[in-house]
Amino acid sequence: MSSSVLQRIARGDAAAVRECIEQYGGLVWSLARRLSRTPADAEDATQDIFLDIWRSAGRFDESQGSDKVFIAMIARRRLIDRLRKATAEPPMDSADALESVAWADPGNSPEISIEAEQAMRALAELRPEQRQVLELGLLQGLSQSEISARLGMPLGTVKSFMRRGLIKVRDFMNIDAPGISAEV
Amino acid sequence: MSQTGPQNQPDEALLDLLVKQVTEGLSPAEQRELDVLDSATASSYLRELERAAAAITLAGTARAEPPPAALSKRLEAQALDFLATTGRSDAGNKVVDLNRPAKVAAPRAAAWQGAGWLAAAACLILAVFGWVRSPQPASAAEQRAALLARSESMKLDMSATKDPAAAGVSGDVVWDPLTQQGFLRFVGLPQNDPKVHQYQLWIFDATRDQRYPVDGGVFDIPGNASEVVIPIRARLPVRTAKAFAVTLEKPGGVVVSAREHILVLAQAG
Repeated sequence: MSSSVLQRIARGDAAAVRECIEQYGGLVWSLARRLSRTPADAEDATQDIFLDIWRSAGRFDESQGSDKVFIAMIARRRLIDRLRKATAEPPMDSADALESVAWADPGNSPEISIEAEQAMRALAELRPEQRQVLELGLLQGLSQSEISARLGMPLGTVKSFMRRGLIKVRDFMNIDAPGISAEV
Repeated sequence: MSQTGPQNQPDEALLDLLVKQVTEGLSPAEQRELDVLDSATASSYLRELERAAAAITLAGTARAEPPPAALSKRLEAQALDFLATTGRSDAGNKVVDLNRPAKVAAPRAAAWQGAGWLAAAACLILAVFGWVRSPQPASAAEQRAALLARSESMKLDMSATKDPAAAGVSGDVVWDPLTQQGFLRFVGLPQNDPKVHQYQLWIFDATRDQRYPVDGGVFDIPGNASEVVIPIRARLPVRTAKAFAVTLEKPGGVVVSAREHILVLAQAG
């Protein structure tokens, strides 16, 4: 029987719920703080994301990726939905919220997921400005227009950097694990 | 699964939409554009881009700070309540298990400010208790009756809208603001096909932005049921419930309803 925490949750294992919150609560909370407007919003968002995780746990297939990337996908979807439905204010920009933006060190981060390692290897092949566009968009929640304004970079270039960067990581992940596509 | 060759890569316009959806979401106009262009290849590619974005996000989140203790407790209570109300051990695609609704919490004298927290703790205790000790939990109808007997509870009659799917529907809402628990009772609400549509409850909280009511849970109506009682699962604490509305949505529900199919309404005061 699989030991995946999500599959155990799907079977109604209460202990797995606590384990999931313990293991991934920090990840979800960090992402929610980064991509929410206020701490109260971040708390609401964290609850929203976990409810979605409980609802989606039955669809997790460990042959298609790790628990962690599945949860990060759900978190990103929810946070983007929330950002879009809110007003046009930018997400929290406090030093606190951005402290959690810290790149993993593939050789020295024992808990890094395989997918994050693949992403790091792909990102290492990008130019610094391409990597910066990805960081601002994916980690700090800036829109392409906001990135363009902040970096003084043409919008078309931002779009191109974002597109190429994502495709590069996507290709790395598919090369490492052909045929994989996480269904969430 | 798809090859990574350019023959399976969406064209640039579609790719730009997919990237935007993954990174910042689409405007309604862009979403309509994507719906027109969308294809199986695009959907598959979208999932791969989402996965890539999630991997980058993980790579850039090497330091994760634990959530506040109170939030962790709420998450755990919410999860256990969710699992209990959905009978998740054999869930499959079932959204609401009418035979295993949330337990009604014991009365508490706490002030409102702590009610959500206390309700969560009560749910946690009762949900666990229910799993371990109660092989035959009370039916939803019995629990609704028990909740209705509580002095803090409110009962609102539902009225059907002019939506054709709501013709002849009646029912009520029982809601206890202290424990944040409640039940919907319907007569005549048509059976839905969960693969096509699901019902979703929205709770309008007078203290929140009215454009964004609290999601009260997604549910199904089985066939051959003259009266159906559904436990309410509010995603967020509801401080002052002023109205309840049920809409018909895509399977799994939505974050923000377009309110195209509002079927029934119940209003306080």
